[in-house]
Amino acid sequence: MASTQHVLLSPAELAYLHAALSLTPPIRPDGRAPAQFRPLIAETGILPGTNGSARICFADGTEAIVGVKAEVERTRLADGATAGTEWEEGGSARGEGEDDDGGDKAGDSDWVGLTVEIPGYRDDDAGTAFLGAMLSEALLADGAFARRLWINRRFHWKLYLDILLISPPLSYPLPLLSLTTHLALLATRLPLLKSEGDEDPFFDDDWAAARHLYPRGSGSSRTTKESARPPVTLLVMAVGNNIIFDPAKEELAVADVALAVSVAEDTAVATSTAATMDLDDAAVPAARSLRLLSIRTIDPPSRLTPPGVPNAANSAYGATTAQNQPEARTAEAEAVEGVWRAPRGGAKPLVMAALVQKVLEKGGVADEVLDALDAVDLG
Amino acid sequence: MASLKRSFDRGPFAANISSKVYVRSTKSGKVQKIVREVYLRQDIPCSSRLCHVCLNTVPKDAAGQAIPFVLSDAPAGTSVFPQGHYLVPDTNALLSAMDLFEQSSAFYDVIILQIVLEELRNRSLPLYNRLIGLTKSEDKRFYVFFNEFRLETHVARLDGESVNDRNDRAVRKAVAWYAQHLARTKARKVPAVVMLSNDRDNLRKARDEGLHACSLTEYVKQLKDGDRLLDLIPETEDRDTAKGKRPGEQNLYPEYFTMSKMMTGIKSGLLHQGIFNVSPYNYLEGSIRVPAFPKALLVLGRENINRAVDGDLVVVEVLPKDQWKEPSSQVIEEEAVTKNENPDAEGNEDFVSEKERKALQEDVKRTQSKTTEGHAQPTAKVVGVVKRNWRQYVGHIDQSSVSQSGQQGRKQDSVFVIPMDKKIPKIRLRTRQVAELLGKRILVTIDAWDRGSRHPSGHFVRSLGELETKAAETEALLLEYDVQYRPFPKTVLDCLPKEGHDWKVPASIEDAGWKDREDLRDLLICSIDPIGCQDIDDALHSRPLPNGNIEVGVHIADVSHFVKPNNAMDNEASIRGTTVYLVDKRIDMLPMLLGTDLCSLKPYVERYAFSVLWEMTPDADIVGARFTKSVIKSREAFSYEQAQLRVDDGSQQDDLTGSIRILLALSRKLRQKRMDAGALSLSSPEVKVQMESETSDPIDVKTKEHLDTMSLVEEFMLLANTSVAAKIYDAFPQTAILRRHAAPPKTNFDELSNQLKVKKGLELSVESSKALADSLDACVDNSDPFFNTLVRIMATRCMMSAEYFCSGTQAYPEFRHYGLASEIYTHFTSPIRRYADLVAHRQLAAAIDYEAVHPSVRSGGRLEAVCKNINVRHRNAQLAGRASIAYYVGQALRGKATEEDGFVMKIFSNGFVVLVPRFGIESLIRLRDLADTEPQATYDAESYTLKTTGSREVTVELFQKVRVRVTDQKDETTGKRGVKMELV
Repeated sequence: MASTQHVLLSPAELAYLHAALSLTPPIRPDGRAPAQFRPLIAETGILPGTNGSARICFADGTEAIVGVKAEVERTRLADGATAGTEWEEGGSARGEGEDDDGGDKAGDSDWVGLTVEIPGYRDDDAGTAFLGAMLSEALLADGAFARRLWINRRFHWKLYLDILLISPPLSYPLPLLSLTTHLALLATRLPLLKSEGDEDPFFDDDWAAARHLYPRGSGSSRTTKESARPPVTLLVMAVGNNIIFDPAKEELAVADVALAVSVAEDTAVATSTAATMDLDDAAVPAARSLRLLSIRTIDPPSRLTPPGVPNAANSAYGATTAQNQPEARTAEAEAVEGVWRAPRGGAKPLVMAALVQKVLEKGGVADEVLDALDAVDLG
Repeated sequence: MASLKRSFDRGPFAANISSKVYVRSTKSGKVQKIVREVYLRQDIPCSSRLCHVCLNTVPKDAAGQAIPFVLSDAPAGTSVFPQGHYLVPDTNALLSAMDLFEQSSAFYDVIILQIVLEELRNRSLPLYNRLIGLTKSEDKRFYVFFNEFRLETHVARLDGESVNDRNDRAVRKAVAWYAQHLARTKARKVPAVVMLSNDRDNLRKARDEGLHACSLTEYVKQLKDGDRLLDLIPETEDRDTAKGKRPGEQNLYPEYFTMSKMMTGIKSGLLHQGIFNVSPYNYLEGSIRVPAFPKALLVLGRENINRAVDGDLVVVEVLPKDQWKEPSSQVIEEEAVTKNENPDAEGNEDFVSEKERKALQEDVKRTQSKTTEGHAQPTAKVVGVVKRNWRQYVGHIDQSSVSQSGQQGRKQDSVFVIPMDKKIPKIRLRTRQVAELLGKRILVTIDAWDRGSRHPSGHFVRSLGELETKAAETEALLLEYDVQYRPFPKTVLDCLPKEGHDWKVPASIEDAGWKDREDLRDLLICSIDPIGCQDIDDALHSRPLPNGNIEVGVHIADVSHFVKPNNAMDNEASIRGTTVYLVDKRIDMLPMLLGTDLCSLKPYVERYAFSVLWEMTPDADIVGARFTKSVIKSREAFSYEQAQLRVDDGSQQDDLTGSIRILLALSRKLRQKRMDAGALSLSSPEVKVQMESETSDPIDVKTKEHLDTMSLVEEFMLLANTSVAAKIYDAFPQTAILRRHAAPPKTNFDELSNQLKVKKGLELSVESSKALADSLDACVDNSDPFFNTLVRIMATRCMMSAEYFCSGTQAYPEFRHYGLASEIYTHFTSPIRRYADLVAHRQLAAAIDYEAVHPSVRSGGRLEAVCKNINVRHRNAQLAGRASIAYYVGQALRGKATEEDGFVMKIFSNGFVVLVPRFGIESLIRLRDLADTEPQATYDAESYTLKTTGSREVTVELFQKVRVRVTDQKDETTGKRGVKMELV
């Protein structure tokens, strides 16, 4: 959906916008710097009945809520062994299994169920489905997420994420939904497991003892191989050579290329440095290193905008040839300064590289966004 | 952007809302986060009679009556709180010393906080129920204060605070609030509010906050009879402090599995769950019936039994095949084997004592010497206890476990208590009153059984009195069989008709009581019962009809007219379940007024009845049956003997006698029909104790005589029950209350039929009840008329017990009553003494449209609960009755020695059981009783023969008739006066 949303701008306005954004530095309609995010308001814990929930409100009035519910589910055994014998073996080999979490605790992408709801669109709308696919792809891309849901060899948590846009889709909602999901997952807690090994799971009935899905705070969590935070998906676009983050609806309408870039905090640090990091943690906060998880190109709406007609070809201005062969004209017309022409072709490799670089760089946008979300009280 | 979060700190009513979050795990394995909103209020009263403020806001019931306040305005004081005090116990205080709170000498005016009540319910349901009982009793003045809902006492959990700490804080806050609240009443003497806790931290914090707080021990010491009460405080408290000092303590028993591990195992079929039963002959052998196997699993040895006590719901694991064993053929009694153990020296001895080991060795030898591998039974070990079924046990202190120093002085001493029930292990008890308690029947409870302790530890509850006094022994019996013998509470008595004994059937037929009742006052009805029967349930009549058929009527006391569903009396009756008959005492299910007067179908007065009327052909074929509520007037109340005399006396030619004769003739035909259908005639040794009329001391024992008039009554009662069963099942296919007797599994008879085959060459066929009845009839030994009865007695013990059930829970073929060979059966004829009959009355009344169906008669779940309870009660009542007879038989024989004929019923390798029909008793004769030095013996399990050599040479076979000398003997270790038999 939404990326191809109808934008009520005339070709002349489009051309003007495009020109403004192509300047160095670009001039954005709302006066933001190219890498500046729109202000947002966030809170967590708005749905007391869920395992974790969050709500984010962008300054343009778009608003989303995400609720996370977890259920215990029996793991299907691939080799067809019965649960009984499986348990017996698990009991004896318990000690090993616990340490060696890499091999044993394999997750499965089925363990996450994600639904996206955009008001005014059916849930099987292509755009909605694509949004959902992108969000779950980002979640599962690091391969470590599903592993967090592992309880023992016979059971796992099944996580249901309900992602709701509660305002009309004023701009492409991907970054909003991604950030809200991120925040909800950060706030998600699972009841504390009390049983051991491969027994039927048995949990502490004290909610205060429930542990976070993404444990926060202490430095020790950084030493684990998994990322300490869920991924975020950012929307980035390029106009000419300029890279613009978090585009507004109007900006997206003139984008040459639009990308959804998913990044996670990279904690796949070599184990040798883990020890030193531990020491560092005490003194200075560890530098965040980001890891690229996925890139998806998004069809920018600019491709479907009607082109402007140069005065030279406009019959109102006395041109006559145009009427005879309109196709040829559109196809072959030279770019005319100040006349809107829908972008064609793919992104330039150099721009792509710069774009990814910009996302991942230290102190870059992703960093800034994560820092901002860090400040949200997870209550 | 305005926050969407529910704000707890804003708005005018913000203070009144709180919430509670927890994780709920359901049975199906779901794990849910639950959020409950809590609305706080200020109109929850403190319920102190001193308080006038709360009176204004006290909630009113539906009738607009304010609920009366509970706590006294002049509560009792103690040495420390002379101004009077209210108690606020915390959960642990109640958990560990509920017996204290049930004392009648102290512990009045107690505030039970809601948080404490809830915690208690989660920890122990039986204790919770006892506490609820206390809060309902008017004279104890226990008040449940809903502290969680009162604004001032609600406590929100702090960050990082554990649930326990939070609950402790809630208790302290409530105590503080009460103290403040009461101070404001400006009463002359403001009672102190005292928190009771065994948690040191909690006590310290309370004192820091300036509250009154005591540990249980401190508090009890302030009371007048404190020393006595101190024993009621379980020893775990002392142990907590002492634990650190005993680093060398070893764990003797294997650790239990975690609950989740057990549940996983049960679900996957690797572990099994069931009720643990201990063999009455061998305390080291238990069995457990699990749904997965047709036969029970054996649990042998202390280690495998692993602290399970008879009646516990346990989880077991089957042992490998090389550890399978035969059930022991030896008698092992705990008192004998573990005699002279020192209760103080805990853990120093070997875990399985030398003697115990020896006893087991014998078993192994025997199993291995034989080639009968097929006889080995699967064994199992206990890996965990799902639910303890500990109750209060009656016992006495083992004299030999008392140290010399314990006999004097009041220092705390460890002794063993030997429970009356042989299946219960001895209990270690710490008490300060050894000297007083020696030689008394005492009531104790088990508190705990640690891994490090050989025996369970418990505490003293109360003394019932001297051993062998009638009062103590009777009470002991009632307690052991869980018979409710307290007098009926006032709420129950309030349900009785106001007229009391002056109640009469209304004279006017227009009266509401006569509605839909038939007037049967002109029928010649009489009742036939045992001598001295006061609660007459049933009466009969017969009269010829003009068409040559006979009308027969069975009239049952209309109890349901007086006991309305769901009132206090009905609830009490449903809990009691049945009237319990002891030799010298009757514990009624219904108050005396009803049982022996208003309901009882006494002669010469008009009574309400529920009548079943049949039209029968002279051949006792039933033409039709009809049910109606009626008014009758019994002409005479006969005893069996009187009725028999009258029937036999040819000179009696009046109508009444004639009608009894007709009934007698019909009953013989009915009986024959029943026998033809395969009804069993079973037997159990029944005797009657004759009492001296003045002192009610037993003087003689007689076996019961059987009279024709007994079977007359029995036949018609069976007929009435069967007819009613069919009728109520027809009206309520899902919820009819019925009685079934399941066919016994064939394997039950394996042992007996093998014994008969080997010893007497007789065949027992058990395919159907008919076949069994026939083959039992064939079991005759011409030289010995009693042999047939003996076999019947033994066969009866192989049967399942009959049970009440709700028709929706079983398929129709399962309704069968095996013993009576009846397709469907219920109990209808004794509503005065059985609750099931009362329910059947209500259902029948609804079935004939006499009254509307009451919800309690229709709800399957409720009826199932009722059935479950009355099945247990019924069984307990039987056991209590038998135990009472056994006790009196012992008393009757006191100081006498008689020689009697006996029959060998069961043989062990070191003893045998003899039944003496004359007294209806059976007793074990051990080899060591045969001679001064125990003779050597060889036991041949194949031919059931025990041959002794050495100091005395005898050969004992199964079914053998032996001559025994019966004397009474007080067993010094068990304190029971029992019968002692010696082979002559």
